[in-house]
Amino acid sequence: MDSPKSELKNLGEAIRDALDASANPGEQLRTARSALLERVAARNAAGVRPGWLRRSGRPAVRFWVALGLGALGLVGAAAAFAIWVRLPISFQVGAAGTAGRLGDVVEAEGLPVALRFSEGSAVVLGAGGRARVLSAESAGARVLLENGAVDVAIVHRRPRTHWSFEAGPFHVLVTGTKFRLDWNPKDQSLGLSTREGSVLVSGGCLAEAHAVRAGETVRWSCQSSPPNPTSTANPPTAAASAAAPGTRVALLSKPAAPGDAWRELLASGHLVEGLRAAERADFGRVCRTAGESDLLALADAARLSGHTARAVQALVALRQRFPRSPDAATAAFSLGRMAFERRAAYPEAVRWFSAYLAELPQGPLMGDAVGRLMEARQRAGDRAGARADAARYLQRFPEGPYAPEARVMLSE
Amino acid sequence: MVTPLTFVGGDDALVAALRAGHPGAAAVFYDRHAAHVQRTLQSVLGVDADLPDLLQEVFIRAIDRIEELEEMDRVRSWLTTIAIFAARAHIRRRARRKWLFLFSPEQTRPRQQEPPSSEARIALRETYRLLDRLPVNDRLAFVMRIVHGLTLPDGAAACGTSLATFKRRLSRAEKQFLAAAREQPELQQWLEGGTRWTRQNQS
Repeated sequence: MDSPKSELKNLGEAIRDALDASANPGEQLRTARSALLERVAARNAAGVRPGWLRRSGRPAVRFWVALGLGALGLVGAAAAFAIWVRLPISFQVGAAGTAGRLGDVVEAEGLPVALRFSEGSAVVLGAGGRARVLSAESAGARVLLENGAVDVAIVHRRPRTHWSFEAGPFHVLVTGTKFRLDWNPKDQSLGLSTREGSVLVSGGCLAEAHAVRAGETVRWSCQSSPPNPTSTANPPTAAASAAAPGTRVALLSKPAAPGDAWRELLASGHLVEGLRAAERADFGRVCRTAGESDLLALADAARLSGHTARAVQALVALRQRFPRSPDAATAAFSLGRMAFERRAAYPEAVRWFSAYLAELPQGPLMGDAVGRLMEARQRAGDRAGARADAARYLQRFPEGPYAPEARVMLSE
Repeated sequence: MVTPLTFVGGDDALVAALRAGHPGAAAVFYDRHAAHVQRTLQSVLGVDADLPDLLQEVFIRAIDRIEELEEMDRVRSWLTTIAIFAARAHIRRRARRKWLFLFSPEQTRPRQQEPPSSEARIALRETYRLLDRLPVNDRLAFVMRIVHGLTLPDGAAACGTSLATFKRRLSRAEKQFLAAAREQPELQQWLEGGTRWTRQNQS
């Protein structure tokens, strides 16, 4: 009989081999990746920072005690949470904290008036302004701005938030957190200045939704059609916008071009919607005009939502239009991965991974690229090439994730 | 300004991007380390249909606790520790589920995917059946050292315990596992003969 040490060594190797042969790690990795990114995107869309899922460490009490207490606690917490998430938010008006009622007119006759909502959001109506809260639900509220300006700060505390503002024919959907909105009914002009996050403006004379992102200030008027933004030196103030009928359009920074809502949707984690918006805006045109990082984002969205052909189109466009950029190399890596995983096109995958390594030999994905190149070459039947890659990989990453395969390859 | 979904940068920049909630950083973080975490989980649990869920859970926890990561060059071992804690919780959950649904055969049946080879399948199933009999902490020490191949100090660090405690658990697990494995005909070849690769080379 072998010594216990030898037996255990043999056993360890056998278990590793059997596990490698028994599971499909690629499938497991892809499944987990999609689910993870969906959760992260949902979290980002809700504006939550790391820490939201923080869990306690080890259980402080034994299981049998914890089972009973935990069950009671869970039932109570679940009930409280269920009630909390369904309760419509309430609001108070002014410094006195008068309970607000839906539909009541709120006017700021000399001083600004604050509307404070129970979940933490605040809407401050500028002097001379007039507004109503039309509806309130658990996820947010709908506010009608009849005249003047509001400074808005939305808090994303609940699982989903849904806030919107109406101003004349315009509809403003809140996807961000802080912005200033003003509406002048005389010249039918809407001004919007976003400080954090973004908002989507639609309705009125706008043919489609426009995203207004952090740092941008825009103004539209529906008196003449189509609305033509023009520049001004300063952002509009509540007083100026309310008191200056005929003031045409103010533009401090370039607003999102029509059809660019896809970019905003992707950045806020709405991958499927973003991809659909890009399709509506003519996917080919988007590929010809978007920046390199946006093309990578678009390709990611297409890949994660299963539209491989669109992902390839965006990545190829990126490589053609920005041939020497780091993003072009990253695109080559993504193209290689899709060729390998989605189409089992191993020779093509070899070309893309090789391209990445040629363009970014010390890039952040270098280890993965060599490891995947090794696998792609092996599956393409290039045994000698795969062995060379295996040696190259082990030299640089002796404990890396592809190291066991590389050692096996070299030992065969 | 639009934050691109795809992130490009080294590990330090990646961790900073995760802390800042960069939407593309999670994908890159996952792509760099998922294979390692998957192997760790699989070593502890064997072939388990819940593995993708656990894999995702490990990364959610990691992203959630990214502020706690102090040494950037220890990302991988930090992830190993999180994976071990997740696997331990899963083993305990499984044990509780078994107890809670004692009279439901459907629930007590192990949720394992079927490996392709019958020989390997039987031996692997037998191995993890024996591992299921070990106390969970002893099992973790055994798996990290014997299956995952960690050194003693790395194994102790991964399990969040002292070196002495790790050695004690490992020694206990080795004795108990070997005694049981020697009684199993299905494991004789594994104990004596090494792997399919060495067998192929020998033949």
